[in-house]
Amino acid sequence: MSTIIEFKNVNKEYKSGDHILKAMDDVNFTIDEGEFVVILGPSGAGKSTLLNLLGGLDSVTSGQIIVNGNHVESFNDNQLTEYRASNVGFIFQFYNLIPNLTAIENIELMKDIVDVNIDGLSVLDSVGLKSHANQFPAQLSGGEQQRVSIARAVAKQPTMLLCDEPTGALDSKTGVLILNLLQSMSNDRNTTVIIVTHNAILAEAADKVIRVKNGQVESIVINENPKKVEDLDW
Amino acid sequence: MLFKKMLRDISRHKAQFISIFLMAFLGVFVFAGVGGESVGLEVNSDNFYEETNLADGWIYSGYINDLFMYQVDCLGATTQMERQLVVDSVADFDNDPDVTLHFVENNTISKFYLLEGEKLDINDKDGVWLDKSFADAKGLKVGDKIKFEFENYTIEKQIRGLGYSPEYVYHASSSSIIPDFNKIGFAYLSYKAFPEDTVPYNVLNVKFDGTPENYNDLLDYHMGGYYSSFVERSEHTSVSQFADEMDQHSMMGDIFPVVFILIAMLIILTTMRRIITHQRTQIGILKASGFKNHSIILHYVSYGFWLVLVGAILGLILGPITLPPLFYPSMSATYKLPVWEPAWSMEFVYVAALMVIVSLAVSYYSVKGISDEKPADTIRPKVPKISTSGFIERLSIWKRLSFNIRWNYRDAQRNKFRALMTIVGVIGCSALLVCAFGMYDGMNDLKDWEYTQINHYDSKLVIEEDTAQSVIDDIAEDVNGDEIMESAIEIESDGTKKSGSLLVMNDTNLITPTDYDRNHVEIEDDEVSISEKMAKMLDVGVGDTVKWHVMGSDKWVKTKIDKIHADPISQGFIMSADKLEDLDLNYTPTSIVTAEHVTQNYDGVKAANSMKDMTASWDEMTEAMWLLIYILIFFACLLAVVVLYNLGLLSFTEIEREIATLKVLGFKTRALRKLLLTQNLWFTAIGFIFGLPVGYFILAIMWESSGDSFYILPSISITNFLLTLVITFALSILVNLMFSRKIKKLDMVESLKSGE
Ligand SMILES: Nc1ncnc2c1ncn2[C@@H]1O[C@H](COP(=O)(O)OP(=O)(O)OP(=O)(O)O)[C@@H](O)[C@H]1O
Ligand SMILES: [Mg+2]
Repeated sequence: MSTIIEFKNVNKEYKSGDHILKAMDDVNFTIDEGEFVVILGPSGAGKSTLLNLLGGLDSVTSGQIIVNGNHVESFNDNQLTEYRASNVGFIFQFYNLIPNLTAIENIELMKDIVDVNIDGLSVLDSVGLKSHANQFPAQLSGGEQQRVSIARAVAKQPTMLLCDEPTGALDSKTGVLILNLLQSMSNDRNTTVIIVTHNAILAEAADKVIRVKNGQVESIVINENPKKVEDLDW
Repeated sequence: MLFKKMLRDISRHKAQFISIFLMAFLGVFVFAGVGGESVGLEVNSDNFYEETNLADGWIYSGYINDLFMYQVDCLGATTQMERQLVVDSVADFDNDPDVTLHFVENNTISKFYLLEGEKLDINDKDGVWLDKSFADAKGLKVGDKIKFEFENYTIEKQIRGLGYSPEYVYHASSSSIIPDFNKIGFAYLSYKAFPEDTVPYNVLNVKFDGTPENYNDLLDYHMGGYYSSFVERSEHTSVSQFADEMDQHSMMGDIFPVVFILIAMLIILTTMRRIITHQRTQIGILKASGFKNHSIILHYVSYGFWLVLVGAILGLILGPITLPPLFYPSMSATYKLPVWEPAWSMEFVYVAALMVIVSLAVSYYSVKGISDEKPADTIRPKVPKISTSGFIERLSIWKRLSFNIRWNYRDAQRNKFRALMTIVGVIGCSALLVCAFGMYDGMNDLKDWEYTQINHYDSKLVIEEDTAQSVIDDIAEDVNGDEIMESAIEIESDGTKKSGSLLVMNDTNLITPTDYDRNHVEIEDDEVSISEKMAKMLDVGVGDTVKWHVMGSDKWVKTKIDKIHADPISQGFIMSADKLEDLDLNYTPTSIVTAEHVTQNYDGVKAANSMKDMTASWDEMTEAMWLLIYILIFFACLLAVVVLYNLGLLSFTEIEREIATLKVLGFKTRALRKLLLTQNLWFTAIGFIFGLPVGYFILAIMWESSGDSFYILPSISITNFLLTLVITFALSILVNLMFSRKIKKLDMVESLKSGE
């Protein structure tokens, strides 16, 4: 398998007053195409920061982020927008659907951004929500909303799905459903999936586990035989 | 701690609070500034009249002797009186300027207002107290000598003092509207300075109790026949001219600022309400953590209070200081008052207070509504309104509409209140613009109508009174001109009396009456035409009969109306000389109009005014109006920017999260800007469409209140209509541009962090 993501000596500093906080401190790792990666670490460790840097929402202080051979850290605003549109599918803890648009419209919205043919209904079908196509986000449960948000992210066929605590606001049963969905995205579509979570059990299902602490990579573990999410002992 | 939170909140929502502050400030600033100007005029003139003890009335008579004064005293209502001889003289200069001399027996009524030199001395027979403006125009100083000729006398006196007079705030010759102080002046002298021993006093200045009407009746009843006329204060040329000017100012100064301040208030209220509703969750958290209800309310209410209060107070102070001085210089060239100062009226304070109180009340109720809920409910964000798919969404074209249109349509649907407020804001601003430009057009149109479409002569020779008809005819022939008669009349119908003007002319192509659409109205020799406005005011039409008389004569005649014409500045009758004589009235020409440019001096002609002079003086007279119009246009634009920006900002904060999401998904800044622009343009378009009739309506009220003699209907030229359109939309786009920077700078990570 080929490397698709590489962090090289990545540093990220936040200045508040004269105090400098190192949210990323010389971070190095690689991720292969189609890998199902789990990032673990205590609160404040820098997990979200890592994901945001990778997703092009924020810029590094120093270091390199190489995706598909391109240097993300050197992109200008337009290139970043383009990069986010075609490479990155973001999934947030709080779904962030557009409240004014129905489920299917939220997905078909992606036609405005990328040049792929999107059949909203079949994408919704793939997350099991075909019958909810014309409901507004406010009319959906949290789990359903998250599924729509996953459908929206995969609809544009990104290189990677970045999920920041996607089950954080859901009960555990719904959470499993979502994680299961994400794992199958990785397996069936060969999409690289990176999940930030607090739930260490998920590590057993990952191809690769990156542990972060104090802005540094503590360990990287590769799982030769990852379990299926549904088989985990929740 | 809460105080710290307040400061943080304010600095976080800087722009919104700045616009609340600005609107409170601008609203009161314009209201008090424009108001302060007209109130200032009123106060300054009132003070001047008061200080100089301006007469309440003037009784003219040929025989004001002791007996006459005794009789006036016996009327009972008279509180003070003083007689003088008023004569027209010619001062000894090359251009023969007219100087009106007042030989006074005493000077305690309509006192000479001294600016330089010694006080008026009633026993000084060699001194003269001269009009300051005239002295300036002639380069005369205190101590100089000056010679006057009147009747058969020539007198030379030494100038003891220079100053103003309450009877000469406005002083122009009867033949021109604007004063030319090189040609006209006045002077006060002691009765002892009169060349004869007995002074033939002809004017009695009186102060009296009760209304002028009562006094006039009293005078009529007891002394009818012994005096030639009585002029009350409001009829005095100087007083009434200045009052007219003030009326013009307050006509614009009243309505416009009221509309202005209403819009400002409306926007402040919406903003306050929305800022508070926005803090819903925070209010819940504060409550849940144990803050008392009243301290929460106090906290939120104090937000806007200080800003509105400071804004309103600043406006209250700065408005009258800044705006009036823009008007006064041009006015002080025409009107002579010793003091030109803006004034404050309690009305301004009430309006400012109202603004503060209403904004206080609105924030109080908004917070109270939220803080009365259970904290548990408040902490959860308010359940969004679930909208069922509407009619439009079920149409098949809906699916083919772009995301931009769909999103905007739904957004507007879901935030009806916000949409409505934005539209109302735009309505207000475009109405103000339409109104301001409408005034601009109206004023231009009025001038064009009067001076090119109705009157086509080049010169108008004003004939001196008592000039023989043969002399007039000779002059008319010499200049190839036509004689006309103009006089003031009073018309009555069904108990309604209106003063107006009469124009008598024989067939001439130099004056062509028109109707409102500028089509020529042919008035036959045996016809009487009434002006449209006069007809409306008296509620009469063709075929009706009205009663009227020439001012200064008691002879009432009845006339049937045959035609209706329209005129922008003079309302009354037009008829031929034959018709006038048919009615058994005297035809005495007052002017000769001619297409030739006359510069020659004729005996019997008081003044030759060219059309150019007249339009120039018209321009000068309307200078203050123009200034006001420009100021209104400027502030209407400024208000529009603040309103649009503020409302845009409100919606921007509300959809910030959505914008951030779209940005994360990969939408380009340009696409997002277009998203916001689309909505902006929709609202602007709707607001503009409704703003037009509203502006028209305000304009109509304004012209309506412009005085009995003006006749202008609200209208706006295509050019200015387009200009209004362009300005409104340009401002809307400009405001949108300000937002594109915000979109670019929007921090996606931060905007999406919380789960709110
Ligand atoms: N905008 C910011 N300004 C200053 N410091 C920041 C900012 N964003 C994050 N940080 C700091 O960077 C560090 C890492 O934050 P990050 O959000 O990546 O943590 P996290 O691992 O995602 O934690 P959690 O599991 O609680 O979400 C934290 O110490 C945080 O205080
Ligand atoms: Mg995090």
